[in-house]
Amino acid sequence: MRIAVLRPQVPFARGGAEIFTDELVAELRARGHEADLVSVPFKWSPGARVLTQAFLWRMLDLEEADGRPIDVVVATKFPSYVVRHREKRVWLVHQFRQAYELDGTDLGQFGPSPEERALRRQVQELDRRALGEAARLFATSANVAGRLERSTGLVAEVLPHPPQALPYASAPSQGFVLSASRLDRAKRIDLLLEAAAREPALEVVIASDGPDRERLEEIARARGLDGRVRFEGRVDAEQLAQLYATCSSVYYAPVDEDFGMGPFEAFLSGKPVITTTDAGGPLDVVSDRETGLVVRPDAAEIGTAATWLREHEEEAAAFGRAGKALADEVTWDRAIARLFS
Amino acid sequence: MKVAYFSPMPPEPSGIADYSALLLPALRERLDVDVVRRGTKRPPRGTELAVYHLGNNPDAHGWILDALRRRPGAVVLHDFVLHHLVAGVTIGRRNGHGYLDAMEREHGVVGRLLAHGVLDKRLPPLWEARPEEFPLAGEVLSLATGLVVHSRYVENRARAAGFTGAIAHVPHPAWPDPGVDPEAIEGDPLIGAFGNVNQSKRVPQLLEAFARVRATRPGARLLLVGATSPGFDLERRLQRLGLGGDGIVREDYVDERRLWKLMAACDVHVSLRSPTMGETSGTAVRALTLGKPLVVSDVGWFGELPDGVALRVAVGDDEVTDLAAALQLLAERPDARTAMGAAARELASSDHDLGRVADRQAAAFEMIAGGGPVADSVVREVSEAAAQVGIAPGSSEASEIARRLAEVDLGG
Repeated sequence: MRIAVLRPQVPFARGGAEIFTDELVAELRARGHEADLVSVPFKWSPGARVLTQAFLWRMLDLEEADGRPIDVVVATKFPSYVVRHREKRVWLVHQFRQAYELDGTDLGQFGPSPEERALRRQVQELDRRALGEAARLFATSANVAGRLERSTGLVAEVLPHPPQALPYASAPSQGFVLSASRLDRAKRIDLLLEAAAREPALEVVIASDGPDRERLEEIARARGLDGRVRFEGRVDAEQLAQLYATCSSVYYAPVDEDFGMGPFEAFLSGKPVITTTDAGGPLDVVSDRETGLVVRPDAAEIGTAATWLREHEEEAAAFGRAGKALADEVTWDRAIARLFS
Repeated sequence: MKVAYFSPMPPEPSGIADYSALLLPALRERLDVDVVRRGTKRPPRGTELAVYHLGNNPDAHGWILDALRRRPGAVVLHDFVLHHLVAGVTIGRRNGHGYLDAMEREHGVVGRLLAHGVLDKRLPPLWEARPEEFPLAGEVLSLATGLVVHSRYVENRARAAGFTGAIAHVPHPAWPDPGVDPEAIEGDPLIGAFGNVNQSKRVPQLLEAFARVRATRPGARLLLVGATSPGFDLERRLQRLGLGGDGIVREDYVDERRLWKLMAACDVHVSLRSPTMGETSGTAVRALTLGKPLVVSDVGWFGELPDGVALRVAVGDDEVTDLAAALQLLAERPDARTAMGAAARELASSDHDLGRVADRQAAAFEMIAGGGPVADSVVREVSEAAAQVGIAPGSSEASEIARRLAEVDLGG
């Protein structure tokens, strides 16, 4: 089949959605499909630009390319699914969350004026219309599917995808907690730092980068964590796999996350995950005392959980094995088979 | 968003007052709603959207129409036919010329002549005799910046009348189940009809149909609850049909609690109407809450109830026969009553769920208040970009852009 995978792209930003779509294209090609990535820059402000930028997708003609039909398009996140196509399949990473559950929070975008309220509603209406056109509708997690159903009434099948390809391995714990999430506020790495401040024996490795890095480094300095918290920055695949392999547990506690590859990466390395009760997507796979520990979003509880996992290696290994059994079920073969079933 | 809310409110005897009392707490969780006092002519300072609840009753809505005339805003149109309202604020205020003008504006010279006939008492009042032919909704539609309606029927009639603004179809909210014990009334089955006892509720047809059912099912009883309209001789009709004995249970006006107890006692609810003014039936919505099967007229909102919830009876020559067949079927099939009741309850807790209705209504108000500038902004930016690459207005490319904007409700 000729398949176009659709991805809005915020220039210079790279996160889970970019990794997911790149790997999807690669996996489709590996299975003999003629697949390509179609990307359009996305800018969501000021004012009604979120709609005009979304409308760019509507003007694309992806029915054919170079005189030959495109059999299927796979849209991923807002606003790529605004595209028109007779065989539009949506594998939803997320909607424009500022118009939904983030509205009215620090992470919201739309103000209280009638025009901004209407703009938010128009984004919702656009979602209802565009997602309602899809021939098949999938969501990467139960959290994403739940949000979709609550906001639009549309029901999506939950279809998780495998994490990024790394040379996953498992090795004895060296006693540190790993965080590999992008450094932005929504990932709540500051909670992990506060936990380290409360647990003098806790060591933390932060293997990523992002806009919140300066603030986090300042917190670490202010709490006197210099010797116990290491900011590695962005590391290559081998280094990351090695860190996963040798950590005692993986911290992954974003706020109401869409999906989250972190737990799958941890599980494929045989490591348990510490997450929080409000983490959203990760709760699909992180079950308390089965594949990790689920605690309240509280530094003391996170610190206690991390210490417990470091001190109870057998239990931690058992949680990691149970997680790996789950992660092994999520394969590209299965996901692609369902996507095109 | 700050909303000024013009509506009749309890204790006014109005279904729309009951509606607002039910909806307002949920709406206030979503919007800053200021309910204005009856008779207020202008919205309070700082209002970002004035919302006017309009129905056909001039006592309940005359002052609201006056306020709408001073400041346009969103209209929640509970009835499409507003003839009685217009007559009330014209003839009822000794302004016959206003009535003549209203009829001429919407129905031309013929309308004006008919209005003269009414004023001269040579014709019966049109709001009683032929209101559906002369709805007189034009002025309200011209003043409304957007509409909220409860049915596709009213939406379609507003569009047919030339309304081009935003219309949101938001169902009537369902009351929560009050959990009352059913009134102890015998009947196998007990069939209930609630509301004024008159022609437009099709009571003559209902009595005839019930008489046929009773001929084969002597245990069946009909509970009629509501005031008898002036000029409607119920007793004589009952005698003529041989229903004077214990086949009929009669209750006049009842308070809300007793209404629920009586409704809960019924096995089947009948909610008939013709002509329709485009209204929604509050008692039919209560029947959904209670999980009761319905038999309704196939008109307006009633005709839009799903198949699994209501048996629809067409108005016309076969009405009595069809109605009797529907009642007979439900009388003989408790399983069908159970299935329809479950579907009714499901409908009440989904489409008519109070929170969901409040969400949709808040969304509608926000779109009505600010949607115009948003659409203008989108169209302007797209048009400018198109012009910059040489796409001329009126060209086929411009038409294609407009078509695609319209596809996703972004103007065009």
